[in-house]
Amino acid sequence: MSVKIQCGDEGALIGYLYDEGNAQDAAAIAAHVASCAACADEVRSLQATREQLQAWTLPDVALGFRLGTESVPTESAPQNVLRPARWWQQPLPAWAQVAAAVALFSAGAALGALRATGVAPVTGVSTASAASSVSTPEFAPVSARDLTALEERLRAELTPKADASPHTVASHQDDEVLLRQVRTLIQESERRQQQELTLRTAELVKDVDAQRRGDLARIERTFGQMEGTTGVQVEQQRQLLNYLMRVSQQKPQ
Amino acid sequence: MTLTDEELVARSRGGDQESFNQLVVRWERPIYALAYRVLGREEDARDVCQDTFLRAFRALPGFKGEAKFSSWLYRIALNLCRDWIRRQRRAPVMQMPEDADPVEMVGERGPAESIETLVARRELSEVVAAAMARLPEEQRTAILLKEYHGMTFQEIADLQGCPLSTVKTRLYQGLTVVRRHLEAGGQMRPRLVKRA
Repeated sequence: MSVKIQCGDEGALIGYLYDEGNAQDAAAIAAHVASCAACADEVRSLQATREQLQAWTLPDVALGFRLGTESVPTESAPQNVLRPARWWQQPLPAWAQVAAAVALFSAGAALGALRATGVAPVTGVSTASAASSVSTPEFAPVSARDLTALEERLRAELTPKADASPHTVASHQDDEVLLRQVRTLIQESERRQQQELTLRTAELVKDVDAQRRGDLARIERTFGQMEGTTGVQVEQQRQLLNYLMRVSQQKPQ
Repeated sequence: MTLTDEELVARSRGGDQESFNQLVVRWERPIYALAYRVLGREEDARDVCQDTFLRAFRALPGFKGEAKFSSWLYRIALNLCRDWIRRQRRAPVMQMPEDADPVEMVGERGPAESIETLVARRELSEVVAAAMARLPEEQRTAILLKEYHGMTFQEIADLQGCPLSTVKTRLYQGLTVVRRHLEAGGQMRPRLVKRA
């Protein structure tokens, strides 16, 4: 009984490729491959792939494992005594990785919370003291927050004096003086910011203008080149036309 | 006189450690090769290889000899590789040995091989490894067992616990993917005749 081979039968082609199967099947596949260009090419291609796979080489390592006891390691190659991988060499199971991540996150969160409350047991430097230690430049623009902080500080400094003083009538006047000072500071800050804005705007306009002029000069130069090229071409065409006219007007001899 | 695996297994089961050591010497390199090509890392492959023989030694009293000793070892190694990959939660990535030096290797391979040939060979090795790493685990294992360990379709089917036809399909599909990868990388010429 003859074996029927369906064109493109993967199992049959693989059996033929590895020369594994009974002789009758092998003969039938060989006959089909001999007459079918697509299957022949498929087999050739798979065979070429197999040859390429042989290029995958192994690193040259010395193994030499031996059964041995932990108590009597081999002096020459103690690492080759068969013993299970150490616990720290084995990959952590998923639950342990999750636990480690949670612990790390919790520690970070706790540290963040401590810093937010101004307590820094590790460094001994609180956020408040760190903020106060930052010296403000003499000519730095004053922001509204700075002014608020200043107001609060001044109030804090003045309040005990007012409490201590028996003449509490003066506190109202002090507040007005303080408010005037704050308003003055705010006005100065706004004026400085206005000046800065004007300066920046002027610089921006200057940059844009310089860029525009440069672009215009480049465009003008390009147009000039194009006009020159066009002029030369027009002149050549004119000469050609004149020549043609002269030739056409000549009388045949 | 060289003893067969079965004879060495019988002696090992009787308490002869030296016989088991002979089995280790005989099979450590194939097992290491399999583990290295599945895992892609030297150290991991070494650990898996070591664990394979340890487990085999401990389980030796329960080994009834229904399958070949080598098939039994391969099964243990493959299970360990699978566990390793699952625990690592990472795909196999090929890694060249850190201390590999092309100039030294030229000397090892003889004067006839130029450094260009050597570099080309290593590049091809890396490309093949990368192509194999792209395959699903079943296809990769089927190709490894067939191409590098010379197993029959039936032996692979027994190891993978699947029908013989499935092994053939895995081999065909795996080889096709590797071929496409090599064609795309310029290591192989594209096919001349395209099937309709």
